[in-house]
Amino acid sequence: MSDLLTTPADWPAILLGRAGAADPTDLDEATRAGAFDGLRRAIRDLGATGTIATVGASGLRGRGGAGFPAGEKWRMAATTEAPRRYVVANGYGADPAAGTDRFLMEADPFSVVEGAAIAAFASGATEAIIAVRSEATEAIRCLEAAIAAAEDAGFLGFDVLGSGHDLNVSVRGVHGAYMLGEETVLLKALEGKRGQPEQRPPYPAERGLHGMPTVVSNVQTLAAVPWIVRHGAAAFEATGRPGNAGTILVRLRTPGGSGIVEVPLGTPLREVVALGGKLPKGRSIKAVLIGGPSGGLLPPELLDTPYDFESLRAAGAHVGSGSLVVADDRACVVDLARLLTRFCAGEACGKTIPCRIGTRRLVEIADRVAEGRPRPTDPTLLADLSADIVASALCDHERLTTLPLASGMRYFRSELDEHLLHSSCPAGVCHPIAMVAAAIPYGRP
Amino acid sequence: MGGMDTRGRYHVHWGAPETYGERREESALRRSGRTVPDPAYRPFAAVDLAAVDAVLEEFDHDPGRMLEILEATQAAYGYLPIATLKRISNLTGAWYAMIYGTASYYAHLRFEPPTATVQAAAMDAHRPSEATYLASLEAALGGAADHPAPRTQA
Repeated sequence: MSDLLTTPADWPAILLGRAGAADPTDLDEATRAGAFDGLRRAIRDLGATGTIATVGASGLRGRGGAGFPAGEKWRMAATTEAPRRYVVANGYGADPAAGTDRFLMEADPFSVVEGAAIAAFASGATEAIIAVRSEATEAIRCLEAAIAAAEDAGFLGFDVLGSGHDLNVSVRGVHGAYMLGEETVLLKALEGKRGQPEQRPPYPAERGLHGMPTVVSNVQTLAAVPWIVRHGAAAFEATGRPGNAGTILVRLRTPGGSGIVEVPLGTPLREVVALGGKLPKGRSIKAVLIGGPSGGLLPPELLDTPYDFESLRAAGAHVGSGSLVVADDRACVVDLARLLTRFCAGEACGKTIPCRIGTRRLVEIADRVAEGRPRPTDPTLLADLSADIVASALCDHERLTTLPLASGMRYFRSELDEHLLHSSCPAGVCHPIAMVAAAIPYGRP
Repeated sequence: MGGMDTRGRYHVHWGAPETYGERREESALRRSGRTVPDPAYRPFAAVDLAAVDAVLEEFDHDPGRMLEILEATQAAYGYLPIATLKRISNLTGAWYAMIYGTASYYAHLRFEPPTATVQAAAMDAHRPSEATYLASLEAALGGAADHPAPRTQA
């Protein structure tokens, strides 16, 4: 399990409030700490409509990266006529460098299970599936033990807490593709099909798993739900900042140290970065990569940017996987952007032309620039191609694949110009790193 | 163009010569809809299908659980022999192309017996491209990634 960094005392612990238990699968200990109080209140006090209204009023947004309002999604699924509905908790955690979802499922599996149960009760679903990476065996073990204990106690299964609502919760291991983090791709995998995204609308909340209305939410989103139901929408809304309520798990990597931290949305990047410890002597921050492999590279001048959905988008990054990587002055931004683009292009499913061909052309441009053989038209071509991919992409993966290079061009133009005009790398690392990066194959091995 | 039939009668052939078998090159045969031998074709190896039958029985022949069926089949054989894919197609009713498309998409499914390298990679927690990505990221950051945490929560 990754290390949890210490946070300031006044930061709320909504997601990891019960983390650190000796046995995270011990139901008695968890219920003493408040587990399943939220489900009890949702069933006995609020009812399905009231629960949706509470979650909607809290301002909870999806933690999977898109930031879609959770209450709206639940309402959409609940009001769509269908013989049955599903809840899918997305715990795949596609970014190999993040691991926040896995950490949460290992540290407090009951919060995810309870969140899924409340979502199912509110939206009228009778089956909830928690999708986890097959490699995350510890997380799967914890979840299965938590589900078994909750079923024995009557929180899941037949006639949950005497409500007349049946709920079957299961864990499904999936793996084999980076794209499984995207909701429609995950649904395809759960249906046993090739994992490629679908055009939206219709959204999964209207037509999802097996053609039925499906609430697909990240495990962090669901884990926040019990807290909201227990403490009320106003208490949740009071954390974070307006329009970006609550907390989110961030995997912080800095030259000073790394770990997982629960951050209130809207916290300035500078405060988050400071949790990683001091930089080595003589080193300074050169760039901050936010959002995982398809994230944006921001310069140190933007460290006062709030860590929330809109501010990061406006700055040229995104919340994404919750990964926040600090690169010091030893890194070359061009080479880093090339590495990220290459990984994203290699993991693209290839369903659409911008995905199949456009992302590869991006890599070729980045290769030329990083290897000191740029063409004069490359900056223009890069900008045009990025705009075309964003305009015609089917899913966010291809749209966001352009971000590392686009944000690199936007904020680190002088370093890019050094590569373009003088075929030189100011950081002096391009060629050695180029050899390492070139080892990543385009296609899956 | 024309030709003699089996009774020695001459007929004028109207239309494309490949229609009457007057051209024997591959492209002409393809255009006329005849089967063409594929020199690259290798007959797939026959395998004992008892294991895949047991897998299908376990999953109730449900094509909706195709990924689990394929994973269980690979666990049984070590890889996905073509004969098993055809068997799965026959018994579940799913199109072979759909099954092949699914199997070829996921990186952990393979069509060849695993080599020692693949077996070693399979033991790794990450898929090969992810492992390479993480190593490359660490190198690109100048060793910044994955330092131990400076302090942990009490």
